[in-house]
Amino acid sequence: MHKLGRGHRDKVQQFMAITGSSEKAAVQALKASDWHLEGAFDIFYSQPHIRTVTDSRHLEELYNRYKDPYVDMILVDGITLLCNDLQVDPQDIVMLVVSWHMKAATMCEFSRQEFIGGLQYLGIDTIEKFRDKLSYMRSELKDEQKFREIYNFAFGWAKEKGQKSLALDTAIGMWQLLFAERHWPLVDHWCQFLQVRHNKAISRDTWSQLLEFAKTVDLQLSNYDEEGAWPYLIDEFVEYLTENGIVQRGQN
Amino acid sequence: MSAQKKRNFKIEAFKHRVELDPNYAERTWRVLEHAIHEIYNHNASGLSFEELYRNAYNMVLHKYGEKLYSGLVNTMTGHLKEIARSIEAAQGGFFLEELNVKWGDHNKALQMIRDILMYMDRTFVPSNHKTPVHELGLNLWRDNIIHSSKIQTRLLDMLLDLIHRERTGEVINRGLMRNITKMLMDLGSSVYQEDFEKPFLGVSASFYSVESQQLIECCDCGEYLRKAERRLNEEIERVSHYLDVKSEVKITSVVEGEMIANHMQRLVHMENSGLVSMLVDDKYEDLSRMYNLFHRVPDGLSTIKDVMTSHLRETGKQLVSDPEKLKDPVDFVQHLLDEKDKYDKIISKAFNNDKTFQNALNSSFEYFINQNNRSPEFISLYVDDKLRKGLKGVSEEDVEVVLDKVMMLFRYLQEKDVFEKYYKQHLAKRLLSGKSVSDDTERSMIVKLKTECGYQFTSKLEGMFTDMKTSIDTMQGFYSSQYSEIGDGPTLAVQVLTTGSWPTQPSAPCNLPAEIVVICEKFRTYYLGTHTGRRLTWQTNMGTADIKATFGKGQKHELNVSTYQMCILMLFNSADQLTYREIEQATEIPPSDLKRCLQSLACVKGKNVLRKEPMSKDIAEDDAFYFNDKFMSKFFKVKIGTVAAQKESEPEKQETRQRVEEDRKPQIEAAIVRIMKSRRVLDHNTIVTEVTSQLQSRFLPNPVIIKKRIESLIEREFLERDKADRKLYRYLA
Repeated sequence: MHKLGRGHRDKVQQFMAITGSSEKAAVQALKASDWHLEGAFDIFYSQPHIRTVTDSRHLEELYNRYKDPYVDMILVDGITLLCNDLQVDPQDIVMLVVSWHMKAATMCEFSRQEFIGGLQYLGIDTIEKFRDKLSYMRSELKDEQKFREIYNFAFGWAKEKGQKSLALDTAIGMWQLLFAERHWPLVDHWCQFLQVRHNKAISRDTWSQLLEFAKTVDLQLSNYDEEGAWPYLIDEFVEYLTENGIVQRGQN
Repeated sequence: MSAQKKRNFKIEAFKHRVELDPNYAERTWRVLEHAIHEIYNHNASGLSFEELYRNAYNMVLHKYGEKLYSGLVNTMTGHLKEIARSIEAAQGGFFLEELNVKWGDHNKALQMIRDILMYMDRTFVPSNHKTPVHELGLNLWRDNIIHSSKIQTRLLDMLLDLIHRERTGEVINRGLMRNITKMLMDLGSSVYQEDFEKPFLGVSASFYSVESQQLIECCDCGEYLRKAERRLNEEIERVSHYLDVKSEVKITSVVEGEMIANHMQRLVHMENSGLVSMLVDDKYEDLSRMYNLFHRVPDGLSTIKDVMTSHLRETGKQLVSDPEKLKDPVDFVQHLLDEKDKYDKIISKAFNNDKTFQNALNSSFEYFINQNNRSPEFISLYVDDKLRKGLKGVSEEDVEVVLDKVMMLFRYLQEKDVFEKYYKQHLAKRLLSGKSVSDDTERSMIVKLKTECGYQFTSKLEGMFTDMKTSIDTMQGFYSSQYSEIGDGPTLAVQVLTTGSWPTQPSAPCNLPAEIVVICEKFRTYYLGTHTGRRLTWQTNMGTADIKATFGKGQKHELNVSTYQMCILMLFNSADQLTYREIEQATEIPPSDLKRCLQSLACVKGKNVLRKEPMSKDIAEDDAFYFNDKFMSKFFKVKIGTVAAQKESEPEKQETRQRVEEDRKPQIEAAIVRIMKSRRVLDHNTIVTEVTSQLQSRFLPNPVIIKKRIESLIEREFLERDKADRKLYRYLA
C-alpha cells in the first residue's frame, strides 16, 4: 500500500469498503481499470473468482429480519422495512435493479433463495454494505445493455403470477418509471394512446419491441418503416400520432 | 562411265512476231465505233457480228484493251447525251413515254455491244478492275440521263404527280409506271431509293397527313376507319402493280403512321362513335376493323385494350353499386353473366380471340365483382334459384352451360370462403325442403366446385347429400319396424343430419303438439337402438309439415307449412282465439321467428288461414288471432312455408361475415405455422407474401390480420423474434 500514491490509496480504501474485498483484489481491479473506480467495480463483479466471501450467518440474520412471520418469504411489510433501512423510497427504481440482481420472480416479494442468493452474488452481508451499493446499482441503469435487460426483466416481474400479459395500469406505471431514467419524449402520448384505443393487457412482444422503437425511431417518425415488422399496436400508435397531428411525418 | 552433262532444253513460248501496223489499233477502233453508232441508230442489221467480235478480240489481244474501253465509254456517253436532249425535248405526258422507249432501245443496244465486246468483258475488264460492260452501260445511263439536271427533277415530279392523281381518283398508265420504276430498280437499289422511293414516301406522308386531318374532322370513327382501311389496301395494290415489292412495308407504315397512329387517341375516344360506343352497340365489323388496323401500329392494341378495360371497370362498378340493380340478387348475377357473354362474343368475333384482351376482361371482372362484398352471397342465390326451378325443362347440355358460366364468375371471387358459407346454407334449405330440380344437377355443381377448389371445399357438401340418402334408408327401416304402428296418427319423415356437415343454427326446440311428440319419441327410440353413442336434437326451425284443414263451409285444403307454423295452427284445434302472448307461451318459438310465422299465416292475401285483430301488418304483443273460417283458395294444396332462401337482412349479413372472419383466423395461423415449420427463419414481409399466396384460392387475407396472428403465435410461443434482427421470425419447435 505504501507504494501507491495518495490518490490511489484513497481509491483502494473506498473500493475495499464498498466491495468488501481484500487489498490485493482491490489493487488488482483498480490497476486493470486504470484506477477508475466504476470500471474497477465492473471488473471485480464480472470475475466470479474474486467474489468476496459473505458471511452466511449475517445473511440469515438479514433475511430473518425481513421475512414474513407466517410464510418463508419476504413480503410487502418486509420490503417496506428493508427500504426504510436502506433509506430508500419503495417506489424508487433502484429496487427494480435490486430485484433484477436477485432474479426475483414477482414484484413485492422475495423468496429466501432470491434474497440470499442475490446478496451473495452482490457480495453484500450487511445493511451498510447494501446501502453503499445502491449508488452503483443506480449507475447500472445508464448502461445501454443493462438497461435493456432490466427493462425486459421488468415485464415478467411486474405481471401477475400465472398471467401471460401485463395489466395496462401496471405497464403504464412501469413505463413511466423506466422512461424517467432513459428519456423518451413520446412516453406520455404512448400511455394516453393505450388508454384511449387499446385498454387491454400488454403482451411481452409489444413490451420488448417498444424499447426498440423508442431507441431506433426518431421523434419525427421519419425513419419509421411500415414494413418494419413492428407489433400492430405500435403501427396503430404511429397512426394515432399522425392522425392527431402530434407528429408531422416528413416524407423524404 | 563418264558423267555427261545434259544440256537443258527449253522450248520458248511462241511469240507472235508479226509487227502491227501502228494504225491498226486506230483503224480497228473506228470500225467498232462505227458499229456502235449504227447500233444506236437502229441500223444493226447491216453489221457482221463475227467481224466485230474478232476486231474487239484482236484489240484486246494486242494490248489495246484500254483504248477500246475508253472509246466505248466516250462513244456511249456521246450517244446518251443526245438521247438526253431528245427526252428533255418531249412535251408533257410524252416525257415518260420517250424515256421509256429510249430506255428500251438502250438496253437492246447494250446487249449487242456487250456481245460484241464479250472477250474484253471477260479478260481485260476483270484484270484491270474495270466496270463490266453491262453495268457500265447502266451507270452511264444513270449518270447521263437520270441524273441529268433537266431530267432528274422532271422525272420525279412526273412520277409523283401521276401517283397523286391516281390517289385522287384518276386512272393512270400503270404499265408505263411499272416500266419506269423497273428501270430505276435495274439501275441499282440506291437509285430507286434516292431518286424515287424516299421522296415518294415523304410526299405520301404529307398527303396522308392532310387527308387524315380532313377526314377526322368530318367522319365518325367507323367511317374514318373504313376509309383508312381502303387507303391502305390501295397502297398495297399500287405496290403490287408498279412499285418495288420492298416498298410495300415502307408505304404501309407511312399510311399507318399518318392515318392511324397519329389519331389513335382521338378515334378511340370519339363521342358517340368511338370504341366505347362500338362496344356498347356490339358493332362487330367496326371493332374488327379497328383491331386489324390498330394491330399494325405500336401501342395500337394496348390503347384499345386500356380503353376497353376502363370502360368495363366503370360500367361494372356502376352495376355493382347501383342499389336498384342489387335489389334482386338473381337479376344482378344474370346481368353479370350477360355482360360476360357480350364481351366474350366481342373478343371472339372482333378481336381475334386475342389472349391479352381475354386477360383484360378477366381482370376487370375480378376487379368490380369484388367491389361488392355481397357478390359471393348473390352468386350463391343465383345458383340456388337455378337449382330450384330455373332449370326445369332445360336440356342437360344447356344446364351444364349455365353452370359453367356461373363457375366462371365464381373464379373471379376473392372471398371464396364466404361463397362456401352461403352455398352451404342455401343447399341445406334446398335439400331439406325437397326443392331441388334434380339431384344430378346438384351433384354436377359440386363436382365443378371440387375441380376448382379441391376436395376440402366440397367434402362437407357431399356429406349433406349422404345424410339425405341415409335418412331415406333410415325411414324405411323405421316404418318396417315395430315402432311405427300408429294407426291414423301423423306420418313422420325424418332427415338425420350430421352436425359437422350442415350449417348450424342452434336453437332450442319448440313445444311440439302432443301427437307429434309421440311419434318423434318412437323414432328416437328406434334410431338410438340401431345407432348407439349418438345424440339426437330436433331442429324444429328447419322442418316442414303438411296439414289437412277443414274450413267454415266444409272446404278442405292441404296446407304445406313450416314446423313452427304447424305448432301454431295445431293450437287452434282446441281454441278459437289466441293472443300473441298465449301462442308464444304455448309454443316457445323464438319471438322473431314467431312474428314472421304469424305474418305469413295471417297477413298474406290468399294464404291467410288465420285472422288477426287488429288487421295491421305488424305483430304486437296483444294481437288476437282467430282461425279463419272464411279462408278461400282455388288450390287444394296451399303452400305457406317461409323456407325459401332469401337475401340476408343486414344483421344476418353482419353475423355471417363475423363468422367468416372468425373462421379465417385459424386458417391464417395454420398457414403461418406451416410456412415457418418448413422455412424455420423468415422475415416479416416474406411471411405475409407466402401466406397470401397460400390462401388466395379461398380469400385475400388482410396483412394487418396476418400481423396480429403472428403476434398471437409469438405470445403462444410458436414463434419468436430473432435476437439480432427484429424483423426476422424463428420457428420454435
